[in-house]
Parts: sequence; structure tokens; C-alpha cells
Amino acid sequence: MNSKLLKIFYAALITVFAYEVQAQSIAAREKKPGNAERLTADEILHLSDYSRNGWDTYFVRTTIQNFEDNKLKEEGVFDVSIKGTDKTLVKFLNADVKGQYLLMVDDDMWIYMPNTRKPIRITPLQRLMGNASNGDVARTRYAQDYTALFKREENIDGIPCFVLELNAKRDGSTYIKIDYWITKTTLRPQKAEIYLTSGKHYKTIHFDVYKEIRGRMLLTQLTITDRLREGRTTIMKYSGYTQKEIPEKYFNKDYLGKLR
Amino acid sequence: MTFRGSILVVLVFGVIQLRAQSLEYRFSLVDEGTLNKVRIETPLNYNNQILPQSSESNITAANLFLGYGGFMTSLNFNALTDNLKIPEYEYTIRELSLDLSLTDELDITIGKKILKWGPGYAFNPTGVAEPQRSPSDPSDRLGRNEGRKLATITAFFGRSSLTFVYINDVRYESSKLYWSEQEFALRAYTFINGFDLSLIGHYKEGGRFKAGLNWAKVIGSSLELHGEVLLKKGSSTQYHRAIIIDNEQRIFAANPYATLFNQSKRIFYKILLGGQYTFENGINIVLEYYHDAEGLNKLEWKRWMKFIKFHNSIQQGSITADPVLIEASRLNILWALQTLSPRGTMSDYIFIRQYYSTGSWSFEFIQFLNAQDFSAVIIPSADLAISEHVSFYSRLTSFIGGSDSEFGALFNSCYLNIGIRFQL
Repeated sequence: MNSKLLKIFYAALITVFAYEVQAQSIAAREKKPGNAERLTADEILHLSDYSRNGWDTYFVRTTIQNFEDNKLKEEGVFDVSIKGTDKTLVKFLNADVKGQYLLMVDDDMWIYMPNTRKPIRITPLQRLMGNASNGDVARTRYAQDYTALFKREENIDGIPCFVLELNAKRDGSTYIKIDYWITKTTLRPQKAEIYLTSGKHYKTIHFDVYKEIRGRMLLTQLTITDRLREGRTTIMKYSGYTQKEIPEKYFNKDYLGKLR
Repeated sequence: MTFRGSILVVLVFGVIQLRAQSLEYRFSLVDEGTLNKVRIETPLNYNNQILPQSSESNITAANLFLGYGGFMTSLNFNALTDNLKIPEYEYTIRELSLDLSLTDELDITIGKKILKWGPGYAFNPTGVAEPQRSPSDPSDRLGRNEGRKLATITAFFGRSSLTFVYINDVRYESSKLYWSEQEFALRAYTFINGFDLSLIGHYKEGGRFKAGLNWAKVIGSSLELHGEVLLKKGSSTQYHRAIIIDNEQRIFAANPYATLFNQSKRIFYKILLGGQYTFENGINIVLEYYHDAEGLNKLEWKRWMKFIKFHNSIQQGSITADPVLIEASRLNILWALQTLSPRGTMSDYIFIRQYYSTGSWSFEFIQFLNAQDFSAVIIPSADLAISEHVSFYSRLTSFIGGSDSEFGALFNSCYLNIGIRFQL
């Protein structure tokens, strides 16, 4: 092979390589490398929801512990029933709020107060308890609420993660913007940073513990750190995941007064 | 089917549905002491002699809720003491009902139950089947609201429902049933495009048909808006005759109330517009405007006050009268006081509530403002939760305004409640 041909060959090789690098770079932005190479950011988000939701219709007991300066200030226990991607019913179990229910259908929420026997329409920003908003308990399928953009890859505690930017699909979503770390190998949520409309960093969520429950690896503990109020953290624990059929009418606002 | 047959069917359904259910219960015990600053100078209650107000009182209220399957009951027991009377004890069955699911889409309820239909926070003009309550205590902290005796049938269709209610506040006294006027109400509710929307109809025997609608909508993550409107042709509300003409110097020999607009073709309406906003720091604000066309206007209120003041002058002795007339005048004041309503006597009101909770502490500030005479009830309160079972609260209620105004003329200028609450 003469030198001219060799130069043409190298030029062609460099062109092809450059094209491949550029193509891979575009793919990295739109599709993901690693095991999830062929998945879009939205698909990764969708798959990550599986480790926060056991089945299509299920029940889970949620315990929320609020800490101030590492001291436990309050603890709340809730029974959460989830049906499909859009319906959640939260039953309050603590003595001071016993008989209250929170109903969430799509982006819309009602709270039933047993004192007044009345369901009240509420906004997503109204807090359930401490740093946990209603949406933190009731909305666990982020793929329903947010569109995802791939930002970068990053290691968290030595675990390689995709970093996605989630933007609210609708006005009624719990948060406007979330930076979301999902492990590359298992596609489990690892960390979330939540921002307010003003751009302020509002909360950081660490998804701490996953356990195998009836053949599935499911989230059993997360920690929320308040970035606006120093020293305030919330731990949410999930237990008693049970697949369960729940009548449709339980998710009708008018039925709240009949629930026990 | 006979009446006994219907009861039997209901009981059989009830027993079937009670199987394999767990008992739900709630219990609260509240002890609340009140210090009251009596308004001696008010013409409504000359020298605190027309309707004597206590300066100190205490109430112990126990509330027990039991739910088992479709069965539920809510019981209230109160022990009241004050510096004027001997202790009183009250026992109330607030609710006692049976909810039965005939199918997954069809439910019936029979018994005494509190039904709430309106989205309003302090006012609920479309709450045609609900008990009367006070805007200054929207959360009913002592659990004193009672249900109505009713039977309902509700059909659920996805995000919609249709409810028919039959109400009869029947009483059982001295081994005999006393039936009340029959009431019928219908509500069609749907949730569409983010709107909670209800259409409501109500008819009471001997009264007027009322129709209304209410709605609620959340905008973004912080703002909720709601509204209610209720219309009827004519009004069966009873008004004191003193409000009709400028002639306050009258002493009525018989009950002076009359239905002034019973045959009227005028449309009377109640309207509520409101909303709530939650700030990023967690502060929640509720704002509501309420108009009730059956309430008194400024002129009618002025005439009523002049009538009261005339009789107050007789009580004070600044107008001389013989003892028989003085007693008749006192009776006239007592009759006139029946015009006052804890839900507001005039036609335009504004309600504002600010609320903030830090976890164990929560703070609430209620302002209930008469938009015609600008008198107001203002209620700051604080609640400290020691644990999920025990909390303390304090609540200061002040009535402010000119001496002729609705709240500025009330019997008390302010009162302070301090309470402890135990919950299971």
C-alpha cells in the first residue's frame, strides 16, 4: 500500500472515528451508555419507578420521622393504598390526626378532616408532616409527573449513576424541577435534589435502603434533608408492601366520609 | 315491601358487611377554661341583665368515635360549669349511622350523620343538609356539631357521583315519635378538567326549592380557588318587624317575627368566593367573601339597633315607664336578640385565616369581618403538641367595632380559652 493510499485510508478512518465519536456523544445525550445503552432518559426514569412501587395496585405502611438537629421531633404513621399510576389514598394513623385521609388522583388532592367531616381540596405544596410534602408520600411514580433529560454520569459513594434532570409535565406536579441520580447497573433511585420555581435548592432526598420483598427489590427507607431550614431532616420508612385489590370508589372524593 | 321488611333487609346486609371488619376508634378529652370580659355598656344586654354572661367558665368535652364496618357512631359528653349556674351535663349522639355497599357502585346510608357538601372553609351556602355552624370555629374544636337524621343513596360512576338524601329531624320523646318537616336533597358531583363541580337541589316541606352549585380548582402548586352559589325564589326567613320602617318606639305584645318575603318573586342568593394560598415557607392563607341576600342590609341593621337602643333606654330608666312596660320591654329585647346569628346577621362578610405549623407548635389567626360596618371578630390561637396524645392550646377571641356595629355591640368584648386535649 503506498503512502497516498495509506493517507486516504487514515483520513477515512479518522473521519469514520470522528463521526462515530460524535454519534456516540449524541447517543449519550439521548440514549444511555452501560446496560441501559439503548434506553432514553424517560425510559430510565420509568424503570426506576419499579423499585419505588411494588405492583400496580398495592398497600404500604409509611412511617415518617422528623428530626431537628439530629433529635427526633415527631413521628407519623400512614397507610398508603396505591391503585394504578394515578390514584393514592393515605390514611393517617397517629392519635392527633386519626381518621384523616389524603386522596390524590392525578395531580389533584383532597384531605378529609374527621372533625369537620369534610373533604377539602388542597395544593401539592401543603405539607403532610415536617419536610415531607403530600406528594412525597402520594406520588412515587415520577415518570407520570416529569419528563427526563440526561445530564451526565457521576459516581455517588462509588456507585456509578446517571444524572437526569426532571421537569414537571404539569402545573400540579409536586415539584417543578428535580435533579435525579439513578444507579447505572440496577436503575434504582440513589439521590434527588429538588428545586423551587425560584430556583432555590429546596430538598435533597437520599434513597437509602432497598430490600428484597416477594422477589422484588423495593425501597424501604429514604432521607429528606431540608436545604432551606438548616438541621431539619426527615426519614421515611416503608413496610408491609402488599399487593391488594382496592375498589374504584375508594378514590372518589365523595367516598372519603365512609372510609374506616 | 313493608317497613319491617325493609329494616330486615338493611340489617341482613349490615351483618354480612360487618364480618371480618376491624374496630376503628377515636377518643378525645378536652378541658377548656374560659375567661370572659363582659361588655356591660352594650345596649343588647343592659348591665349584663338581659342575658347574663358568665365571666369564668369551664367545659370538659369527651368525644368517642366508633366505626365497625359500615356502622359508625360519634358520641359527645359535656360537663359545663360557670360562675352563674350550677354545673350542667349534656350527652349527645352526634352521629349514629350504617353505611352499606349494595354493589361496588351503589351505597346507602341510614341514621344520623353529618353531611358536608360545600368546599367553603368558613361558609357553606350549598351545605343544605349540614348542621349549622360558626365561622369563628370552623374546625369545631369541641366536637359539638351534630348530624341530621337522614337516609341517602349514592351511585358512584368513576370520578362522579349522584346522591339523593331524605332528611327528617324526627324526635323520640316520652315514648312517642315526633316527625319533622320532610327535606329532600340531590347532589350531582363530578371531577372534570381539574374542577370539583357539584350541582345541588334542596326542598323542605312548606319551604322553597333551592338550587345551587359549588366548585373548587387548584392552580399550580400553591393556589386553590373555590366558590358556592345557592338560589331560591322568595324567602321563608323570619325577620323582626322593627327592620321594616323607621319607628323604633314600639313595644310588641306578641312575637314580632314574620316571613316578609314568603310570597315574593325576588331571587334570594347566597354566594361564596374564596381561595387559599400556601407559601414556600409553609404559611397557609385562606380568604373568603360571603354574601347572603337574606342577611340584613345597613338600613335594616340601623333600624334594629335603634329599636334595641329604645328598649335599652327603658331598661336604664332614661325613659320612664311603669313596671309592666319595663318587663314587656325586656321581653322585646329578648325577642330582638333572636335576630342575631353566630354565622353573621348581615349580608356581607370576609373571612381570613393564616396558619403556620412548625411541628410541635402551630399558630392560627382568624379574622371574621363584617364588610358593611367593618366590625370584626379576631382570633389568634396557638397550639403546642407535647406528644401525639397530648396538646395544649390557647385562643383569644376579640370582638371589635363601633358601639352600633354587629360585633362591636356583642355581649362580650373578648374571651380567652385555655385548654388541654388528650387523644387516643
